[in-house]
Amino acid sequence: MNTEKEPVPLEVHDLTVAYQKKAVLWGIDLVVPKGKLIGIVGPNGAGKSTLIKTIMGIIPASSGWVKIFGEEKNLRRVGYVPQRESVDWDFPVSVMDVVLMGRYGKLGLFKRPGKADVDIARQCLDKVKMLPYANRQISNLSGGQQQRVFLARALAQESDLYFMDEPFSGVDASTEAAIITLLHDLKEKGKTLMVVHHDLPTARNYFDMLLLLNMRVVAFGPTDEVFNYELLQKTYGGRLTILAEVAEAVRQKS
Amino acid sequence: MSKRSYKFALSLLFLACMAQEPLFAARIGELTETDWKIQVIRFLSFRDPSVRYALAGSILLGISCGLLGSFIVVRKMALVGDALSHAVLPGVALGFLWNTTKDPVAIFIGATVAGLLGTTVVNLITQTTRLKEDTALGMVLAGFFSVGICLVTMIQHLPTGNKSGIDKFLFGQAAALGPNDIQLMGIVTLLAITVITLFYKEFLVSSFDSGFAHSIRIPVQLFHHLLMLLLAFAVVISLQAVGVVLVSAMLITPAAAAYLLTDRMHRMVFLASIFGLLSGVFGAFFSFLGPSLPTGPFMVLGASLVFTLCFFFAPKHGLVTRWWVKRSRSQQIQVENVLKAIYHVLEDRGFDGEGVSIRELADQRKQTLEESVRESKMLKRAEYATLLEEGNMIWLTPEGWQRAREMVRNHRLWELYLTSAAQYSADHVHDDAEKIEHILGDEVVRALEKRLDYATTDPHGKKIPSSESIQKDRMGRREKVPGYGQDI
Amino acid sequence: MAKDFLPSFEWHRVMVEPWSADAFQNNLWIFLMGFLVATACGLVGNYLILRRMSLIGDAISHSILPGIAIAFLVSGSRGTVPMFAGALLAGVATTVIIEVIHKKSRIKQDSAIGIAFTTLFAIGVILISLYASKIDLDQECVLYGEIGFVGLHPPVQLWGMNLGPLPVFRMAVVTVITAAAIMLFYKELLVSSFDPGLAFTLGINATVVHYCLMGWLSTVVVNAFESVGAVLVIAMLILPGAIASMLTLQLPRILMLTVVIAAMSSFFGIHLATWLNCSTAAAMVVVASGLFILAWLFSPTSGLVFKKLRHRSDSVPEFPETATDVLNPQPGK
Repeated sequence: MNTEKEPVPLEVHDLTVAYQKKAVLWGIDLVVPKGKLIGIVGPNGAGKSTLIKTIMGIIPASSGWVKIFGEEKNLRRVGYVPQRESVDWDFPVSVMDVVLMGRYGKLGLFKRPGKADVDIARQCLDKVKMLPYANRQISNLSGGQQQRVFLARALAQESDLYFMDEPFSGVDASTEAAIITLLHDLKEKGKTLMVVHHDLPTARNYFDMLLLLNMRVVAFGPTDEVFNYELLQKTYGGRLTILAEVAEAVRQKS
Repeated sequence: MSKRSYKFALSLLFLACMAQEPLFAARIGELTETDWKIQVIRFLSFRDPSVRYALAGSILLGISCGLLGSFIVVRKMALVGDALSHAVLPGVALGFLWNTTKDPVAIFIGATVAGLLGTTVVNLITQTTRLKEDTALGMVLAGFFSVGICLVTMIQHLPTGNKSGIDKFLFGQAAALGPNDIQLMGIVTLLAITVITLFYKEFLVSSFDSGFAHSIRIPVQLFHHLLMLLLAFAVVISLQAVGVVLVSAMLITPAAAAYLLTDRMHRMVFLASIFGLLSGVFGAFFSFLGPSLPTGPFMVLGASLVFTLCFFFAPKHGLVTRWWVKRSRSQQIQVENVLKAIYHVLEDRGFDGEGVSIRELADQRKQTLEESVRESKMLKRAEYATLLEEGNMIWLTPEGWQRAREMVRNHRLWELYLTSAAQYSADHVHDDAEKIEHILGDEVVRALEKRLDYATTDPHGKKIPSSESIQKDRMGRREKVPGYGQDI
Repeated sequence: MAKDFLPSFEWHRVMVEPWSADAFQNNLWIFLMGFLVATACGLVGNYLILRRMSLIGDAISHSILPGIAIAFLVSGSRGTVPMFAGALLAGVATTVIIEVIHKKSRIKQDSAIGIAFTTLFAIGVILISLYASKIDLDQECVLYGEIGFVGLHPPVQLWGMNLGPLPVFRMAVVTVITAAAIMLFYKELLVSSFDPGLAFTLGINATVVHYCLMGWLSTVVVNAFESVGAVLVIAMLILPGAIASMLTLQLPRILMLTVVIAAMSSFFGIHLATWLNCSTAAAMVVVASGLFILAWLFSPTSGLVFKKLRHRSDSVPEFPETATDVLNPQPGK
C-alpha cells in the first residue's frame, strides 16, 4: 500500500494575470482536493476562462505559481475541453480525427496513432454516443454533438485533472444530461474536474464544490456552504435579480 | 501516408535529374521574336534545357506553395502570406548587390532575412501599439516593398543595372531559372515535405485548436515560427518564377481549391500540391509562348481557373452541385406528393377502379389541368406511372403504388405519433407530417410502428397502410390490390 | 560595388537644387501631386483602418488594374471618363466577387480577398503584356508609377488661367471632394464604422455606406494609380492614418494630422529621391515609413521611448477594481 501522500491535483498561489496594466485575475489562491466536481462561476469578465488557461500555461501569469500534482509546468495528467467557439468548425477534419488528437499527448513527437489508439478513440466516442458519426466532417454536427466530440477527445486523453470551459453552453437537454452523467462517472473514478459554468441555478445541482470568482476568489468550498445570498451578492454585485429568487429558494429549503 | 512518400520520391527524382545537367543553358531572355507555334513545339519536346529548368522549377514551387498554403488557408493567414511575399523585395535587391552576377544563395539569404524581419516587425507593432494586426501587416507590406522598389530603381540606374535581371523578380520569369536555382528549390521543397510529414499531427492540432495543443504540451509558438520560416523559404524560391507581387496567390488559391474538394486535411494538402504543380506548369507553358510574357500572372490564372472549377463543380461543396442536389431533391418531393394525391383519390372512391384522371388529380391537388399534366409526365419519367388515353388517365406502376403507400403510411404514422406521444392536437399535425414523410427511413418507420403498437388508424380515422403489406407486394406476391396499374 | 552604390549626399544637390529656378516648376507639381495623393488616400484610409479593412484597401488598389486596362482597350485613350468607369466597375466587381466567394462557400474572408484581387491583378498584367502597343502602361509603372513625369502633362486651362497639369488638377478635385464628403458625412461615417447596429437604428444603412466607401476608394485609387502605382497606394492609404493615430486619439485631429504627414512625406520624398536617384513615389513612402518609426519611438502618448522613461511596466498592475465596482461605482469605495 502506498503510504506516501499523493500531492493535491491543483495548488495555486497568488496567481495574478494582467493585460496592459489592467488586472484580469488578482491574487488567486486555491487548493483543490482530489476526486471532486468543481464549478467555477462568476459574472462576465470575471476571468473564469482566463483562470483555467493561465493554470495550463496558455496565458502567461504576471506573478504567482501553479502546481499540478505537486509539480510546476506539469501538464502530463491534464485534460482540456475548450469553448466550442474557440475552434473553426469548417476545418477539414472528421470526428474521429478530433478524438484521436486526444491521444497525441501520449504519442510524443514522431509517432502516429496506431490501432490501439483508434480503439480507445472509438470507445470514447461510444461513451458519448457519437460512434455512428466517426467519419463525418465536424461542421455537419449540431452544437450538442460538437460538445460531445470535445468530451470524447478529453476522455481519450485519459487524464486525472480535467479543465472544461462552459461545456454546457448551447447544448440541448439530452446532451446536458449525458454530459453531467459522464462527469459524475469520471468523478467516481477518482478524477478531479474543474468546470467553468455559466448558469447559476444548475450550478447548485451539478457540482460538489463551487469557486465563486470575480477577478479574486470570493469563495471556494462545498456547494451547500458557498451558495448563499451574501456570497453570491458579493460575486455578482448588484445584478442579482433572478439570483435573488434562487437564493430565496435556497434559504427556504434550509 | 503513401501519398506523402510518393511526393517525397517525386521530388528526389527531379533533384537527381537536374543535378546532372551541364552548367550552361540557353536563356530565353535573349530570344528574339519567334512564332508561338514554334514555341509550343519547343516546349513540348523538352529538348531545351531552359524549358526543363522552367518546368522543374514550376513544379517544385507549385508543390511547396500548395503544401504550405494549405496551412495558411486553414489558419486564416492569407494576409500574412501577402505581406511576407511583398516584404522580401528589399532583401532580394540587397542580394543582387552582393555580387555582380546573380547569386541565388545571396538572394535567398537576403530575401529570407527581409521576410522574417517583416513578420517580426508586425508582431512588435501589434504588441506595443494599439494598431490592429491587419493595419500592421498592411504597413509592413507597403513599407518594406517601397524600400525594395527604391533599391530596385537605384539598381536600374546603375551602369550595370539593365542586365541585372532584377526586374524579372517583380512579375516572374520561369525561363530565367538556372541549375543553381533548381537545386535550391529542390532542397527547400524537400525540406518542406519532410518537416510537414514528420510533424504533421503537431501542425494539425496547433492549426485546429491551439488552446488544446498547448494543453497537450505541444510548443505551439515554436511550430508557428517553424511554419513561418518554411513559408519564407517557399516564398523566396518562388520569387523568380512567380514574382514578388503574385506569390501570395500561389500560396492561397491552389489550397483554397483543395479546401473545397475534401473534408480531410491530409487530402487537402495533397490536392493543394497537385494544383500548385499544375498551375506552375500552366504558367510556365503559356508565358513561354511570347517573348516577354511574365510567368507569374499565367500561373495565377491557372490556379484561379482550377479554383473556379472547384467553386462551382466540387462534388459536395460546389455551388452548381449544391443547386443541382437541391433541385433534384425538391423535384423528388413533388413526385412523392403527387403519388400521395393519387392514393387519396383512389382511397376516396374505395379503391374502385384503377386509373386516375388528370381532372381528378387536379381537383385533389387544387391546381390547374396544365400543372397536373406536367406532374403526370414527371411520374412517368420516374417510372411510377403509365399514361393512357392520350395522357388523360394515370395508372400507377407497381413501384409507384408501393411508393405511394409508403408515403401515406409515413404521413399517417407521423401524425399518430405526434398526437399520441407528443400530445399535439389533431389539427396541428398535418404540416409537420407533410415535411417529415419524405425523409423517414426504414429504421425509423419500424421503430415508430413498434412504438405505436402497429396501430391501423391515424388521428383522422384513415387507414394506415401497413409495412407488412407493402413488403409483401415488394416480394412480388401479387395479390389483387386496387389501383395497382397494368400488369406488365 | 556596394560602395559605389550609395550616391553621396551633397547638401546643395539634394536639398537646394530641386527648388532652383529651372527645376522648381516641375518639382512643384510633383510635390503637389504627391501631397494630394497622400492626403486623399490617407483620409479615406483612416476609415479603412477604423473598420479593420486594410486588406480590402490592398485588394481594391490591385484589382482596378484590369479595369484600367480594359478601359484603355475599349476607349483607345487615357481619358478621364473611361478610366473612372473602368476602375469603378473593377472595384465593384472585386467587392462582389469577394462576397460571393466567402458567403457562398466555406472559404473564409481573408482567402476570398486574396484570391479575388490576385486573379484580377494577374488578368490586368496579362492584358498589358499582350496589348502593350495599345495600352500605354508598362508593368513597372503599374507597380510604382511615374510621378516624375506628372509635370509634363498638358495643363488645364480655365478662364485663361493655367491650373496645372491635368493629373494634378484631377487629383485636387478628388481630394477636395474627399475632404468635403468627410466633413459633410462625418456623423454617418463615424457611427457606421463603430457600431453598425446603432447606425441602423439611426436610419443609416451601413451597407450603403460600405459600398459608397468602396466606390469612392476606387475613384481615389485610380487617380493615384498613374502617379504612385498599385502597391504604393496601399502605403498612402494606411501609413498617414496609422502615424496620426499614434500621436492623438481624437478623430478630427487624426484627420488633420493625416494632411500634415502627407505634406511631409511628399516634400522629403522628393529630396530622398534626388539623393538616391530612385523612384520618387517609393521615396515618399520610405519617408512616411520613417515618420512611422519616429512616431513609434517618440510619440508623447504611446511612444516606446517615453514609456520606458516613465518606468511603467505592464507586469505590475494597479490594484484592481472588481467587475462589480466598475458596474456599480460607489463613492468613497
